[in-house]
Formats: sequence, structure tokens, C-alpha cells
Amino acid sequence: MNAERVDVLVIGSGAGGAVTALELGSGGRGVCVLEEGARHELAQYGAGSVEAMQRLYRRRGMTPITGRVPIGYVEGACLGGSTEINSGFWHRTPREVLLRYQSQFDLEGATLEELAPHFEWAEQRLHVSLRGRSWPKSTEVFSRGIEAMGWSGQEVPRAASGCEDNNTCATGCPRGAKQGMSRAILPEAERAGARILTGCRVRMLLTSKRRVTGVLAEIEREPGAREMIRIDADHVFVCAGPTETPALLRRSGIKYHVGETLRIHPMLKVVARFPERIDAHESVLPLIQVKEFWPEVSLGGGFFTPGHLAMMLSDNWLTTRGEMASFRNMAAYYVAVRGTGDGHVRPSRVGDATTHLRYELSEEDHINLSHGLARLATLLLAAGAEEVFPTVHGIPTIRTEIDAIRWLDERLPRAGLSLTTVHAFSTCPIGERQDRCAADSFGKVFRWENLYVNDASMLPDSPGVNPQGTVMALARRNALRFKDTAS
Amino acid sequence: MPSPRSQRAVIVLLGAIGSAVFLYLAARRLDFQAVAATWHTARPLPWVAYAVLCYFVGQLLRGLRLRVLVRRETALPWLTATNIVVIGYASNNVFPARLGELVRAGVLVERTGMPFGEALTITFIERLLDGMSILVLLVCAAAFSVHADTIDQVAKLGAILFGGALLVVVIGVLVPNVLLGLASRLTAPLGAKWRDRALRVTTHIINGGACLRDPRTALAVSLLSIVVWVLEAAMFVCVLPAFGMPLSLALGTLAMSVTNFGILFPSTPGYIGPFHYFCQQALMTQGIPATEALAYAVLVHLTFYVLVTAWGAGAILRYGVEIGRTVAAARAARTAPASQTMGGIPVHFIAHVEPAHVTAEPGELMIALAEAFLPPCEPRAARDVAAFIEGQIAALPPSLRTMFHLGITFFRFTVRIRHVSSFCGLPTDRRRAIVDAWAFGRIGLLRQLFRPVRSLAVLAYYERPEVIRALAAPDSRAHLAVVGSP
Repeated sequence: MNAERVDVLVIGSGAGGAVTALELGSGGRGVCVLEEGARHELAQYGAGSVEAMQRLYRRRGMTPITGRVPIGYVEGACLGGSTEINSGFWHRTPREVLLRYQSQFDLEGATLEELAPHFEWAEQRLHVSLRGRSWPKSTEVFSRGIEAMGWSGQEVPRAASGCEDNNTCATGCPRGAKQGMSRAILPEAERAGARILTGCRVRMLLTSKRRVTGVLAEIEREPGAREMIRIDADHVFVCAGPTETPALLRRSGIKYHVGETLRIHPMLKVVARFPERIDAHESVLPLIQVKEFWPEVSLGGGFFTPGHLAMMLSDNWLTTRGEMASFRNMAAYYVAVRGTGDGHVRPSRVGDATTHLRYELSEEDHINLSHGLARLATLLLAAGAEEVFPTVHGIPTIRTEIDAIRWLDERLPRAGLSLTTVHAFSTCPIGERQDRCAADSFGKVFRWENLYVNDASMLPDSPGVNPQGTVMALARRNALRFKDTAS
Repeated sequence: MPSPRSQRAVIVLLGAIGSAVFLYLAARRLDFQAVAATWHTARPLPWVAYAVLCYFVGQLLRGLRLRVLVRRETALPWLTATNIVVIGYASNNVFPARLGELVRAGVLVERTGMPFGEALTITFIERLLDGMSILVLLVCAAAFSVHADTIDQVAKLGAILFGGALLVVVIGVLVPNVLLGLASRLTAPLGAKWRDRALRVTTHIINGGACLRDPRTALAVSLLSIVVWVLEAAMFVCVLPAFGMPLSLALGTLAMSVTNFGILFPSTPGYIGPFHYFCQQALMTQGIPATEALAYAVLVHLTFYVLVTAWGAGAILRYGVEIGRTVAAARAARTAPASQTMGGIPVHFIAHVEPAHVTAEPGELMIALAEAFLPPCEPRAARDVAAFIEGQIAALPPSLRTMFHLGITFFRFTVRIRHVSSFCGLPTDRRRAIVDAWAFGRIGLLRQLFRPVRSLAVLAYYERPEVIRALAAPDSRAHLAVVGSP
């Protein structure tokens, strides 16, 4: 890094940005990370959902995906990005998914074998492991249901060794057990020489001919005093996440296959009431996922607090609000589908620098959600649940298996669906197919000499599993490739 | 590149030349004896007193406008705001090159603590509003006056100048990123220095526009601007009879408008020269003899000059403003600092950016809506919940936020029509019934409208520790039966 320019500028400090910063920083590059959100101490984590939304989430958690069925979407906006507020679930990319990336996008260098060392590297740093002790009650009853149904289900490894079951995954782990990027990767990156500027929102990339010369960004120098600054750089890695990376590129006039293909895992939540105490609000979220119906449908457990419970019940609040008194006997579960609909990301033209997300649920998604609800409700009833409350307005509470399997033959009312998602990707797909991709197989944006994408936006298509592992493995692979080629 | 001192000398010289040229133009071929005679026969009283009164009220309203423009930043007392405006005008009468604008921004900073860049931007917005108001009044006055090419040309020039600036500000308000992107791309081939300059100016424009994003503020300051300049026109009108001219609103407005566009030309402090020339020309287009027109211009100029300079001097004494230091600080603020490092990263500062403003206090309607979704609870809890909802709604993307507000306006309107009362004025049970009908009814669009409010309300309420404790208590179902089932 000389007095005027940065060697490598990394925009974003989530799963992609942090890995990029560490690999390039430790390779002797002058690396600078710009993060829009703030740096938080562990003591500031674990506050209630209301405070966490304001502190850790992008636009306070108010980034809905519009469409005929609106979908609630949240992502992190703090040092470490969404890894600070996710469940820490860890999957290696399924072989089938990688083969599809290869066949449909000509993605090179991303076979299971080629990615294995990168997964190992990440798993070691994040201490990815199984729980290794008895399951919490919400997992136990779920496991009971899986067993009763005879389905395939498995405990998902997590990047949270030493988890103390304090139910703070979505609000930042105050014990530091969950290995978000701010804990697992970025400190090492800083030790390796990477510099991090927090509270710095990049407004646009500054370009000249086919090169990015730097960025225009806003930074809070002191409380209440924001400045527009320019930072010049030789190489720019945009790792601002699946929604902000395409928005930033498009705001900067870079639009070739950028933001055109938003993919998500639409998710329908249910609340189950059991005869026994679950106390899900005092425990970690259910740790098992059902992959019997993968890749189309996955079943699992969700974050639970009384506030979140009320929100899930509020679709039918007139009939369900009395159930709040039973919150200690309840737990939240979900149906997630692969997501085959079409979506896009656009920077908002009107007003400040916001991003507009749109996704149209496909017919296949709709069917899969209906089938998924039937199966999840059947599983929960088989596990002993007395009632299952889907987050769908206007449909009755499910009390019997007959009520449940109705949704194998009928479709859930679209207008009543309250869907959410925490997984978005594919807005700047990578691969050698220039007719479909925004960047080459290693994230170098087509037609630009020194611009790269290296976050969830680069996944060519839906991975069908929690994407953090895939993002970190591909990001490391890309960073190493850059190191090799640039040197 | 000349030094700043040389640049200032050039500006002062240009001003002096401008004044001399316009004074020559105003006075050439003039019979000075006739001018003197006109002065002797003039009857300044009581007309000048009326003019002073109009100008005084106009300055008070300028102060009110400034107060409205900065109210997001600070609660500026009306009198202080007026004094700040007057100090700016007085300084323009004494110092060259419109230094008064910098002094005014500097005093605003001293009184409010707001950044210099923002204070300068507010001054820019005031000038823009002034220009548009004068243009509107000029067009109105021209419609009731004898047609003259000079007036047409001035109107066209004003329209190009201020209309163009307004268009840029409107783009800055509505689509700031497009404006920023354009500035960056158009100036990229010129190099970093010019691109930085363009981005700086663009950022200032966007900042300025930010205070007009609230439609109510935009409307208020626009209306105030019109009234301010109507009063300014009234000052010109009041002086007309002093020279035996008719008390004509159109004539006075025409003179005011043309004169104020004219003083945009470089001149000495106090606009000596251009003021007199353009005022004279405006009156001459309506058949007023040149001698009377010039005499009139001199009297109007003296009227406002003496008043505002004396008032400004008094305000400066009161606040103890050190002009030199203020101007130096304002100049320094206008010049972006050189490259610096932040956390070891080399950065180049472009401009100050308008910070986002979030209303901390929830509105009465949001409290009432929150209460409608919650079990009966402490007012404090309802207020906290409502504040959370308002903060969350404010965080929505602008298009969705606008749709939400339109929907809520429709809701309020419908409730008022149907129940002959505002929503907040209805008893709690009625409010609950109305909200239940809208939020859980058969119309999907209405359910979507209330979805964020109901979700956020119950989330915030049931996250409260005291509520969780109450729910976890052994008799919680009985508790809910009492408080949770309206």
C-alpha cells in the first residue's frame, strides 16, 4: 500500500470478503477492507431482537423481497456480515450441485475434490463440528418425528464449537462460541496486515476505461459527521453480499449479467405446540435437517423467542394470540425449498442508496412449499405435537395428520403466505458461459481488468444448502488464484 | 493556477469594473439637474416608513424560512435565525464578492454547530428558492405590464439560470445516485482533480436537496419564499408614490424582480451600479422617465441598505462575530482537505454528507395502531413499540415506504369518512375492531398494508423482558385471558 493508493480493496467483510482479506493480506498484499456496518465487541452481542435488528441487520432487517408473494429477507450489516447473525450451520457443497454448476455455467476448477482443501481450511479455522453432547429439547422432539416417519435426517455441523445454548445466534453470540468472521477470520487478517475501515459505505466504483480506479464512499468520521471520500485502488474485490454487490456494480454502470438472476431459498415457518416443555427460547435452535426430499425441499428448525413466536402467530392473530401463554411448550420449524423462481436486484433509482429486490415464486416453489408443509406438519404431529401453526393467513391450525396431508393435494393460498428467507445468491454468477455469467470461473468480472466478485452473489445457482461453506471455499479458491496470477 | 489572494483581488477588481460600467450606463445622457430636482420634490414620508416596515417583515420571514430549513439539525430561535440572515445581507453590503454568504454560513455554524458544508448548502438552497420566487413574480408582473423585450430577456435568463439549477436539485433530491454517477462518469476523463470537484459540487447539491425531501418542508419553504419576495416587492411599491408614481403592484414587482436578477452581475459591495441600472431600466420600460427612475432606484437602495446594514451591525455586535475568522473558517471548509490516512488507509476527502435523520418520537397514530394489536399495556410500552415500528418503517426502501404511507393515509381518510372521527379520536375498542377488520380481512392488499405494523408491534412487545416474565408466570394463561383477549 503506498501513500496514495491501496493495492487490493475488499468491499464487505462477510464470508467472502473476510476470506479474501486474509488470503491476500497474508500473501503480502496491501489489503484494505471497507465495511458498511460497525465493529462490535462481544459484550454488545446477544441483546434482544429489537436492539439487534437496529444494530446488526441491513436496514434494520427491513429489506423485503417484493413480488406477487412478498418475502421477508434479512442479512447482516456489521463487521463479519451475515456470519454474525446466522445459525452457523455448515455444509460442503453437494456433488450434484457442483456438477450442475459445471454443466450449466461451465464453472471451472470447482469439483468436490478441487474444493476439498478449501473446505478443510475453513472448517479448521471455524472449528466446524457436531454438537458432541445431548441435544436440546427442540432438536430431540424433531429427531423423534424423523424417526417416526422413517426419514433421513442428520445433525448439521456448525461453526459454533462450545455453544452454550443461549439462543443468541440471530443476535450475535456474546460468548464468542459461534465463529462469525469477526472472530474467526478477520482478526487473523488484521494480524497479516489487512486494514479494516468500518462504518464506510461504498456509493459507487470509480472507473476509467476498463479499469476500476477506486471507490467513492461515505464514512462517519465522528458521530453525526459523515464525509464523502475517495479511495484509490489497483484491484477491487466486491464482496458486499448477494444484494449489495450487484446493486453497487449496477450503480457504477456495470450491468452485464449483474443482478439479473436472484436466487433464494423461500422458507415457510411453522410453530408446533407440544404437551411437554420445550423452552426453545432458552436453547439453541433445532440442529437436525431433513434431507429426505432434498434438493427440492429441506426441513429444519428455526430461531425462537417469544417475540418471534408472536410474529409467526400474527398471521392468524385473532385466533392464535391466546397461544402465547404456551410459548414454553413451543418451537419453530421451517420448510425451505430450492427456489426455482426468477428474481432480480436493482439499485433504487429514487431516494437514497437502497436496493430493490424482486422474486417471483415459481409454480414449482409453490407446490414444494405446500408439500413441504404437509410433510413437516406430519412429522411434528408424529413427534407428539398437539397443534401446528403455519405462517399462512386464513388456513386452519393443523391438529391431525389428515389436516396435514391435505397440503399434498392442495396448494397453500398464495395470498396468505408469509414467507421469509435468509439465503440469497447468484446475482453475479461465475463461470465461463459469458452468455449467462457476470464473471469468469474465478470471479473476475467480464470486460474489466481489475474487478472481482467474491461472495454469495457469485454462486451460479441455488446450492440447496446453507451457503456459508460454499461461499468461503470458492472465495478462498478465487483469492489464491488471484495471488498466483497477479504475482 | 493563481494564488487565492490573487483570485480574490481579481474578483474585487471585476466587481469594481462591473459597478463602474453599470453606473456609467445608468447615468449617461442623464440631466443631473433634473435628477436633483426630482429629489427635491420627492415626498419620502410616509412611503419610506411603509417600505421599511415591509422590508423588516420580509427579513423576519426569511428568518422563519431559515428556521424551517435547519429544523432537522437544530431548533434555532426565530430571532436568531433572522439575525443570521440579516448579518449575511449586511456583510454583502460591506464586503466584496458576496462574502456575506460565507459570513452567514459561518454565523449559522457558530449558532447551531452544524457543519460548514451544510450551512453553505442551505444558503445555496435559499438562493435557489429566492431565484424561483423572483422569477414567478416577474412573470406575474409582466402579465400586467406593458410588454418590453428587456423584461422578456431578463425572464428568460432567470428561467435558464434558476430553472436549470432547480432541475439539478430536483434530480439530486429524487435520484441522487444517478446524479452522482453522471458527475463521476462525465468528469472521469478529466482526471481525479476535476472529478473530485464535480463530485463535491454534486454532493453539496444532494445535501441541499435532502432538506427538501420532506414534502411539507418543501411546501413550507416555497410558500415562505414567495411571501418574502412579495414583501420585497411591496417595499418597491411603497416607494413609488414618493416620486409621484402610481402605487402599482405590477410596476413595483417588475422593478424588484429585474433589479434582483440584475445584481447577480459582479459589482462592489452593496450592488452599487447594477442595482441602480436595472431598477431604472425596469421602470423605463413602463414609461417612467430616466431621471425619476434613477432617483427612485437611489431611494430604494438607500432604504434597504441603511436598514439592513445597521441591523446587521447590531447583530454582529450582539453575537460578537469575528468576520475575518468566520470567513477564513468557511473558506477552509469549502476547500476539501488534502489526502489523509484513516486507519492507515489513504483516503481523499470529497465533501461533507448530510447525515440520515430518524425521528425518535413516535406519532400519535402509530401509538394508536400499535395499541390496537397489543394486549392492554402501559403507555410507556405502547410508545416504545410505536417508536420501534416507526424506525423500522423509516428503514424501508423509499418506494415501499411511500406505498405504506399512502396506504395509511387512505386508511385514515376512510376511517374519518366512515366513523366521522379521526382514528386516534375513537375509543380503544372501536380502534381494535377497525384494525382487525383491515389487518385480518379478506382483502389481501389491506392485509399487506398492516402486515409490517402488526408483525413489528407483536415482535417488539413480546421481546420486552417484563412481558416474557409475565408470560412465563404460572398463571400466564389467566393473565392473558384478562389482558390479552380484547
